[in-house]
Amino acid sequence: MNQFVKRLEKLLGVGRKPSKDDAKQRLKVLLVHDQVNLTPAQMELMKEELVAVVKKYCEVADEGVVIRLTKADDGISLDSTVPVRRVVAGSAA
Amino acid sequence: MAECIVITSGKGGVGKTTSSANIGAGLALAGKKVTVIDADIGLRNLDVILGLENRIVFDLVNVIEGECRLKQALIRDKRVDGLWLLPAAQTRDKNAVNPDQMRKLIAELKETMDYVIVDCPAGIEQGFKNSIAGADRAIIVTTPEVSAIRDADRIIGMVEAHDLPEPDLIINRYRPGMVSRGDMMNRDDILEILAIPLVGIVPDHEDVIISANRGTPAVYDEESVVGRAYLRIADRVMGIDTPIPNFDVEDGFWNSFKRWMGMNPAREAV
Repeated sequence: MNQFVKRLEKLLGVGRKPSKDDAKQRLKVLLVHDQVNLTPAQMELMKEELVAVVKKYCEVADEGVVIRLTKADDGISLDSTVPVRRVVAGSAA
Repeated sequence: MAECIVITSGKGGVGKTTSSANIGAGLALAGKKVTVIDADIGLRNLDVILGLENRIVFDLVNVIEGECRLKQALIRDKRVDGLWLLPAAQTRDKNAVNPDQMRKLIAELKETMDYVIVDCPAGIEQGFKNSIAGADRAIIVTTPEVSAIRDADRIIGMVEAHDLPEPDLIINRYRPGMVSRGDMMNRDDILEILAIPLVGIVPDHEDVIISANRGTPAVYDEESVVGRAYLRIADRVMGIDTPIPNFDVEDGFWNSFKRWMGMNPAREAV
């Protein structure tokens, strides 16, 4: 019976999100990393240094930081998401 | 002027040999003189896909080592005018041949052929280097899967590093039903990632296994969806601008229901 419900759900297209966007997103990251040969450790180091710079001016929510290299139309692009809790008042350049 | 095209992919099992056999036979059906070379020394298979395995006397390594003349090793396919197979050696390995020897062999074949098709082994080692040595251009075979596309991307870089022009792409094992459900990358997704020209899409179909069982390439069967896909690819290889059908079908409840029942409406659609 459980099996039947699963097949029915699949038939009606409910309960699961299409997987091709996962494939595409993973590939975009994968291919760039194959190309640039940066090790995960180097990426981690770069992330820490980037965040350290941002922290001079803003309060950063560390757990939400994402950086990754992706393939753009004309080369490789560094995408980063650095969630900011608040801008540190009076921070000097 | 004759042209040598290498069929390659990086990843194994994506359909290089099937593509080599069908493109070779498709070009011959169009009146061209073609030799297909099995460069997978030690693991030959192109002979079986073409159904010519019982007629092998000499092989590629015999020719290169001077044990026979090139003509003696070529097996003519009697089902069509203008198709020959140069089989791989089964008892040797990839190191039995070097790129210079391949270049020389292909130059000799090009004197009498219109096309020389090289079926490249999987991997990026000696067999790959031998296979691309004499080639004028490359066709990359991939399937709509993360692993195959990743390897295709690496091979594209290597082909270009060997001073060959930008390669063309075949997308093999395409499943329109899965594409329309969003569970398989479509043509545009793949082209966006690999960014090379598309030369054809081959649907995933049981014809491939049936024709391999029989040793009869799908292009010899006018009814075959796969055969028709490869005939269009052969056209495009010759520079004839044949449209590439999408195979994409509308999804909707009825097709889902038919798939659910074990029927495959989408895959049949061209």
